[in-house]
Amino acid sequence: MVEWEYNNYLMVVKVLNDFLSKLNSQCSCVLQQRIEIRKLRQGEHLILGFSIGGGIDQDPGQNPFSEDKSDKGIYVTRVTPEGPAEVAGLMMGDKVMQVNGWDMTMVTHDQARKRLTKKNEDVVRLLVTRKSLEQAVKHSMM
Amino acid sequence: MFCRTQTTRAAIARGSALEMEIRRGKFRRSVFLDTLQDSDIQKKIDHEIRMRDGACKLLAACSQRDQALEAAKSLLTCNTRIMAYMSELQRMKEAQVMQRVARRSSDAGPMDDRLPCKGKVAISDLRIPLMWKDTEYFKNKGELHRCAVFCLLQVGGEIHDTDMVMVDRTLTDICFDNTIVFSEASPGFELRVELYSCCSEEDYSAGSAPRKLASKLSSSLGRSAGKKLRVAMDPGACSPTSNAGAATLLLPGPAVAGPKYHLLAHTSLSLSHVQDSFRTHDLSISGNEECSYWVPLYGSVCCRLAAQPHCMTQQMMSGCLKVKQLGGDPPSWTNVYGVLKGTNLFCYHRQEDMEANVEPAFTIAINKETRIRASEKDPHSKAQSICISNQYGGEEVTHTLSADSREETHRWMEAFWQQFCDMSQWKQCCDDLMKIELPSPRKPALVTSKQGSLYHEIVIDTSDDISTVTDILTRRMQELELRSQLGTSPPWMSLFEESPGDASLTSDSDSPCWAEPLSLSSPRFRPRTLSLDAKLSTLRGRGYGGVLQCSCQPPSSSSLAPIPAQCVPQATLSCSSSTSSNSSSEGSHSPSSLDGTPFSRPSSARRSLRNLRAKLDPRNWLQSQV
Repeated sequence: MVEWEYNNYLMVVKVLNDFLSKLNSQCSCVLQQRIEIRKLRQGEHLILGFSIGGGIDQDPGQNPFSEDKSDKGIYVTRVTPEGPAEVAGLMMGDKVMQVNGWDMTMVTHDQARKRLTKKNEDVVRLLVTRKSLEQAVKHSMM
Repeated sequence: MFCRTQTTRAAIARGSALEMEIRRGKFRRSVFLDTLQDSDIQKKIDHEIRMRDGACKLLAACSQRDQALEAAKSLLTCNTRIMAYMSELQRMKEAQVMQRVARRSSDAGPMDDRLPCKGKVAISDLRIPLMWKDTEYFKNKGELHRCAVFCLLQVGGEIHDTDMVMVDRTLTDICFDNTIVFSEASPGFELRVELYSCCSEEDYSAGSAPRKLASKLSSSLGRSAGKKLRVAMDPGACSPTSNAGAATLLLPGPAVAGPKYHLLAHTSLSLSHVQDSFRTHDLSISGNEECSYWVPLYGSVCCRLAAQPHCMTQQMMSGCLKVKQLGGDPPSWTNVYGVLKGTNLFCYHRQEDMEANVEPAFTIAINKETRIRASEKDPHSKAQSICISNQYGGEEVTHTLSADSREETHRWMEAFWQQFCDMSQWKQCCDDLMKIELPSPRKPALVTSKQGSLYHEIVIDTSDDISTVTDILTRRMQELELRSQLGTSPPWMSLFEESPGDASLTSDSDSPCWAEPLSLSSPRFRPRTLSLDAKLSTLRGRGYGGVLQCSCQPPSSSSLAPIPAQCVPQATLSCSSSTSSNSSSEGSHSPSSLDGTPFSRPSSARRSLRNLRAKLDPRNWLQSQV
């Protein structure tokens, strides 16, 4: 019973997220989204369910998601399926701008990781940027 | 192990070079009576000995040429420093003994000779021009004859070395970028510049590898081998003096194999060479063409030698003064806070002004032309007053100052006399303050990041053919054509078409942004780029057909079966998993409720995903799981 409800909940969340992203992408501008992720406890760790790449100490040329190859920001490189981040609407390729009010555009990779994995925080509120749908499609089809 | 005896409080480390020398009888133990300065120098000697041991060990252990050269350089520097410290120690001892003798014999009056202040001496931008013979330039056989060179700079007890520079015939000058600052130099300093060089070729018959040496030493040496060894160990027949050689005689350091530096040229600089600009000085060259470490020097060295005496940079004297106002009778006095620094006496209204860096009320010049005298007792006040006269243009201007008490006046006069002494000793350095740039901590070599140009952005995978791109596009084209023929279009196509798309898509795609339908008619050829790959995979992953209520029509028609279905089934896949190309659950994660037809993963898509996976490989670009 509970499982079915949870699945329904997931579906609803997904629908809403997709609807929102489509709405936003119609503006053909860079989308900024606030995403609230509730950490999941797995044993003694609190996980968010995604991976990040980037940082001011990393080589920005190797970032496959950034438009500007000198962008040293923090990008989401992977989202664990059914994880807390995916449920909250985080997508691969999103650029993380802020975490709980802390800036993430000028941080080293390790600083970014630390800001996301604070043990005393149960919820992280991210401000992410996502390129519009149209731009993404245009670029890939060109 | 320290050995403390009752006769002397100075602790002499057992096994240290000092103890060895004492045992040899070179220095008498009684000479080493304890004073603060002694223990200072003793500490320095011990430190250098430790450094030297470290350098020896490194030399024995390293296998690479440049490491060995660096270690040999440190070894030479340490040896020279130890020599300098020991001679200084001996000098101090002798001076102490002489002093004691003098005091005993005569009643020495108060020390009357004024010592000039010390100062900072900096040498920078050393450049030694070379003079290669034209035969050298055109000599093309074999490798370049290379030498490793560095400079050793010495002022009194302070010894510094520059970085090592490799010299070959492609170089026209040897440039040393270091700025070396000697902090406590007296005006009569002698800056000794020594250029050491070492041949940098595989010529050490004793073996640059410690293993060779060990094997040679363990087995008995034949006559020829022994001769070769001796030649290698010898500091070089060409150099008359070699610091390294002399040092090893005196100090029982371990015999080290490996590169040995020889003195190539030297010169001495003093106060007369100090100037705020570049100057050329002559070099005395030792060695000749026959030596292995020879580098053809032009015979001069260019450098910038600057000096900052302390009297120019520090406050020599400060205190409250009264300045007599010129003119007017009875004379009125103004209270000022005077600061003697450099060639000026700055007078501030209050002490706080000076600390707050406010401009002084007025400034009195104190330079070589100034005349200062203490005038007779002023009938009105008890204290003596000081008259400072300067020539401004043709006029002589006299300022009269008075201090609070006799002692203050005396101190001020002392300060002025000291200033004059300093200025006479430091001569041209006191005309103007010379700038000395402090050597900044060396920054690590900046790795030039990739430029933001298109050239750098385009990455053509060697593993993929360009043809695969066209393959993908043509296949996609075919599929889309077929699909449009059949009337069923992938859900995402509806986003681009003018016609109202699937009922499932709740948002009307009729926005001005998408007015022009995407034309997929001609697959425009484009080399693979990182962004392309990323976009491709995100495109597949994003919820185009994300709305679950949509009837994601699987390609039911048989004609579509042979064509590997690409985008559509993956769109349905995305309902439950936003694609992560790294996740292993890709293929297996097909919810049975949504997808009826099993699909075959196309090889090209797999390849592009693999590319993305390779690019997201943590070895290339760090990623962290949170």
